[in-house]
Amino acid sequence: MSIVNVLYKTVLKRPSRFFVVVAVTSLFFERTVDIGIESLYDRINRGKQWKDISSKYE
Amino acid sequence: MFRNIQLNGNIANAVKGCTEVVATTSTKAPFAGKSPKQVLPTKPIFLTNYNLQSTLLSKKALTPVTTTQVRLVHTDFKVPDYTAYRRDSVKNPSASNRDTFEKRNAFTYMVLGTAVTGTMFCAKAVVHKFVLSMAPAADVLALASIEVNLNEIPEGKNATIKWRGKPLFVRHRTSAEIQIEQNTSLSELRDPEDDSVRVQKPEWLVIIGVCTHLGCVPIANAGEWGGYYCPCHGSHYDAAGRIRKGPAPSNMEVPPYKFIDDNTLLVG
Repeated sequence: MSIVNVLYKTVLKRPSRFFVVVAVTSLFFERTVDIGIESLYDRINRGKQWKDISSKYE
Repeated sequence: MFRNIQLNGNIANAVKGCTEVVATTSTKAPFAGKSPKQVLPTKPIFLTNYNLQSTLLSKKALTPVTTTQVRLVHTDFKVPDYTAYRRDSVKNPSASNRDTFEKRNAFTYMVLGTAVTGTMFCAKAVVHKFVLSMAPAADVLALASIEVNLNEIPEGKNATIKWRGKPLFVRHRTSAEIQIEQNTSLSELRDPEDDSVRVQKPEWLVIIGVCTHLGCVPIANAGEWGGYYCPCHGSHYDAAGRIRKGPAPSNMEVPPYKFIDDNTLLVG
């Protein structure tokens, strides 16, 4: 019994479990994408955003 | 015609022995001798069961007319090799399907699961955008709520603030007013509402300053009950904004509000 067999028996075999797992995975996937894009945006715009320069004015 | 022949004596002699009388207008020769054989159109062959049996299964039809090539040996062409396209688990022809199908199905389902995850992600984003488009715009939201600094309103005074295009009354009630309003019995009121229902803190009354009769703005600290008095048609309100006298049918409206801290009020 490899991991794949266990995965097949527990998750993939039944459509009900399969779609529940897919829905939960998509939530985490969305969060990951959001954080990733956000950090990329911050890296590209480093020094230009208010949170970078607010220390000079507050 | 026959009558004409009889009348004409000359013709009558000529036709005396004739067996037939022929019309004078006819162009055809009088019938004489044996008639030629008439040729009729041939009968069409109908494709009935009987006809087909009699033609197809006849000896003539079953006799081969042309020779066809018959190949009995099939060793001269190569069976294509699909090994490169097969999964590893099915390359061995003697392997049992029961031992390997889980891995293959798992792979297929994982690919499917990844695709469905991506689709859900995109679908959720689309639906979210669409739902957000129905929400009010940021500039509208910014005007929707207002913060009031309560330090600026002394006791016994009424502040009028513009909120969503309407006058908002914020009244700092004195302890005497609070005492009177809390002790008012509901049977005296046209629109019975207890004072505790209309205020969150007894010192602060927050109402929309629009008379419920025809929409005039009442005057604060006026009228027979010392609360509000509408100059248009003479409606009297008490210090809880409740209608006591005059044509107005109901109490003045209390907007949604909350106290952020002791000195700040957020309306809206």
